[in-house]
Amino acid sequence: MEPQRKRLKTSDLDLDSWDPVAVLSDQLCTDVELVQALAAPVLDHRQTSRAVQELRQMHPLRGLAHLKRVRRTGAGSAHALEVLVRPLHEPSDYDYSRLGLGDLFVVTVPSTAPLTRPQFDTASAHWPTSFHEDKMASAALRGELFPAGQKEKMHRYMSLAVEAAKDGQKLGLDAIGAVMVDPDSEQVIATAHDCRRKHPLHHAAMVCIDLVAKSQGGGRYGYEEFSGCGFSASHWSAVQPYLCTGYDLYVTREPCVLCAMALLHSRVRRVFYGTAAADGALGSTFKLHAQRDLNHRFEVFKDVCVGLCRELDQSRSL
Amino acid sequence: MDKAFDMAKDALENGEVPVGCLLVYNDDIIGKGRNEVNQTKNATRHAELVALDELRDWCEVRNVEVKTVCERTVLYVTVEPCIMCAAALRLFNIPVVVYGCNNDRFGGCGSVLDISSADLPQTGTMFKCVAGHRAEEAVEMLKTFYKQENPNAPNPKTRKQ
Ligand SMILES: [Zn+2]
Ligand SMILES: [Zn+2]
Repeated sequence: MEPQRKRLKTSDLDLDSWDPVAVLSDQLCTDVELVQALAAPVLDHRQTSRAVQELRQMHPLRGLAHLKRVRRTGAGSAHALEVLVRPLHEPSDYDYSRLGLGDLFVVTVPSTAPLTRPQFDTASAHWPTSFHEDKMASAALRGELFPAGQKEKMHRYMSLAVEAAKDGQKLGLDAIGAVMVDPDSEQVIATAHDCRRKHPLHHAAMVCIDLVAKSQGGGRYGYEEFSGCGFSASHWSAVQPYLCTGYDLYVTREPCVLCAMALLHSRVRRVFYGTAAADGALGSTFKLHAQRDLNHRFEVFKDVCVGLCRELDQSRSL
Repeated sequence: MDKAFDMAKDALENGEVPVGCLLVYNDDIIGKGRNEVNQTKNATRHAELVALDELRDWCEVRNVEVKTVCERTVLYVTVEPCIMCAAALRLFNIPVVVYGCNNDRFGGCGSVLDISSADLPQTGTMFKCVAGHRAEEAVEMLKTFYKQENPNAPNPKTRKQ
């Protein structure tokens, strides 16, 4: 049942024309939001720790726990330290000079904790803040997510998806292809093309999911009439994975809501796609893989072999 | 709706998430389904998708167009369709969905996302929802299931991340 594929020569690999782009949650890729607050210079150094203690009691800075209470001023300033006193609109008629502080002034501070290095750099320029870095997101933003050689593998798998798409196209089907890969054993578990003209729900990713089930002794449909759709049982581990746990999907076009949620239900590990789709649910209309309240999250990368995939999309509309 | 609950009970007795549904066209049941994820090892085999396959078979036998039938078909389901099933119902052009309780984990008709009325021009047609029919009963069944916990799912406590 394993689909036969010709090995690609290195000369076929056009690795310089694309780079995988991480599709991050809005939280990770938006700019730092700012709010206004009141700060004051520390005039009497010896009172600093008492002043901080008193301010913590008086103005606990709810929702701004990531902010440091004290900051050092630059050289040339008349005073060495400044403290964050309270949010701008919190009323108080307390005389802060009793804590050794000078006149209040308005500062802009980051309203949420930064998650990535760029967010941290922006946030710190306004006011010092704590930082628990999302390492994956930071690396993704630097374009350093994958070790050398990984791109060749991505290219190899995506090329299989492109081949499958062409097989489907020859049968008058939509030119969309997908492969499910076990990244640990580097084994291709399932290869599929779009069959929605035969069944409204048989999008390439949906077919792939059912073929993985078949590789595990389950599955619901037969795809014998489609030579471009096939599977091979995992020979890596004695224990079968639960659904698609640990597997990566390569798909030429961004999955729609149906497919994206099906991949989430299947506990897929990562999704790599080529071109974005108008109704796509992994970046374009929704980011289901990073949706709050859902019980599984996975990583998504777009623009993989984007040139090859775009050619497929364009050939489809002819 | 009684029949949908019978389907859900059958799912529960077979170790599946207890959701059952019916597709009704001109007072005829032309598709029924219950969750069969564990049986098929395919996480997309939710009751709704199983029933839609029966509907296709029904149409094929009678040589009628699926789309024409779907446009006049109502889905009755014990639990709010999930995000995936809501998209599937759009792709099949089902106009009305009657359901029992909300689906707080995956709901696609407002609980997590509202796919039923989202602006997705390439994902079929929007549908109308009628919620709350025998909701408490449906919730009780789900609670019973999650208390037993899914024997095929890995234990979240021992799963390494
Ligand atoms: Zn799809
Ligand atoms: Zn569902």
